Amino acid sequence: MSESIATAIPASTPASTESGDLGAPLYVAWQITNECNLACLHCIEESGPGKAFKDELDDRQVFDVLAQLMDADVPYLSFSGGEPMVHPRFFDMVEYACSRGAELKIETNGHYLTPENCARLKALGVKAVQVSLDGASRETFNRMRVLGEFNVAVDGVRNLREAGVPIEVNYSPTRFNVHEIGAAVDLAYALGAISFYTGKTMYTGNAVKTWHKMAPSDEQYGPYFATLHAKADEYRGRMRVHFHEMGLLEELRYRLHHPAALLILLPNGLVKLINALPFVCGDLRQQSLKQIWANFQDAWRDPRVAGFVEDLAVDPGKTRTLHQWVHL
Amino acid sequence: MHLAKHVKFREEKFGGVLFETRSEKVYTLNPAATAVVREIKAGADEAAIRQRLKDQFDDKGGSIDRDITALIADLRAKGLLEG
Repeated sequence: MSESIATAIPASTPASTESGDLGAPLYVAWQITNECNLACLHCIEESGPGKAFKDELDDRQVFDVLAQLMDADVPYLSFSGGEPMVHPRFFDMVEYACSRGAELKIETNGHYLTPENCARLKALGVKAVQVSLDGASRETFNRMRVLGEFNVAVDGVRNLREAGVPIEVNYSPTRFNVHEIGAAVDLAYALGAISFYTGKTMYTGNAVKTWHKMAPSDEQYGPYFATLHAKADEYRGRMRVHFHEMGLLEELRYRLHHPAALLILLPNGLVKLINALPFVCGDLRQQSLKQIWANFQDAWRDPRVAGFVEDLAVDPGKTRTLHQWVHL
Repeated sequence: MHLAKHVKFREEKFGGVLFETRSEKVYTLNPAATAVVREIKAGADEAAIRQRLKDQFDDKGGSIDRDITALIADLRAKGLLEG
């Protein structure tokens, strides 16, 4: 043999796995609707009641896209929103993806996680359900998750545990919940979570309007991440504590040269390069997944993308324009 | 011997990838390692894999047995392979 088998498998993550040589994405993060029952202060998607896009994919288009993803052997999908569980075909979509062998994660605010729905998700075989719990107390959670109720979300997580569905918890920091991060990690573990995710809150979507009263200061982020380092050590081997300290600019500069094997699919079928950029590299209503994936690498090399990233160095607030899509 | 529950395998032009979706780690495979994993997915035992790999690849240096043993041990150690 010209090449050793045994040394052939260096590890990486989807986020660090470059897309160049792959025949299809490894991961598709699909916002299946922009509609949401909550109106969270920090929501990067500006979701909320009545906020469904006017041109969201119809039933035929939804299942056509799903079929393309499965035919391309995309191994890992997530359904988010908005609130994905308000999509009228949510369970049908879950059933289809799981029956075709996808590993599927649901990202939800937890308000529809009734015992019956959790049992159904378990039966369908979802990989995990990630619940946003941005606070260790009702006071902070309810302040941030407008129209939300901490006790309902916590009960939803308990229902997941009862049903045997793997649980992940997501936490978005604000100036009024950063002090609870340690307690929130502890709460996630007590509720049975296998993973805890957090990072810096992004200045886009609803956060643009609420930034002045919501954004954590650099002085708050210091102890926030120090606590997370300690908690990652404390829970090592029992619950994975993931957090991104890297600034957005640093992350995007890296991505320019190392695009991840990930597509961001919007509710209307548009495909974004990455959530933190406004650039759209395809439209699944008009193009096939195969065509869009073929364009993906070139799209990352478009000078407008690098230009936008470097503009962020001068004006970090430019992320407020992420929803003004630029078609490449 | 089979791939662990949350491990997905996909063939690529360069070989293949194994994706451990719980830890969200991706492992890239060269063509020879891909051939081994393809056989594992098809249900072959280790002896059958050795024979089939010798049929497919040049074993002038006699390294196939050693490499397969090491690969399978590595896959097990990483939690990618069970049974």
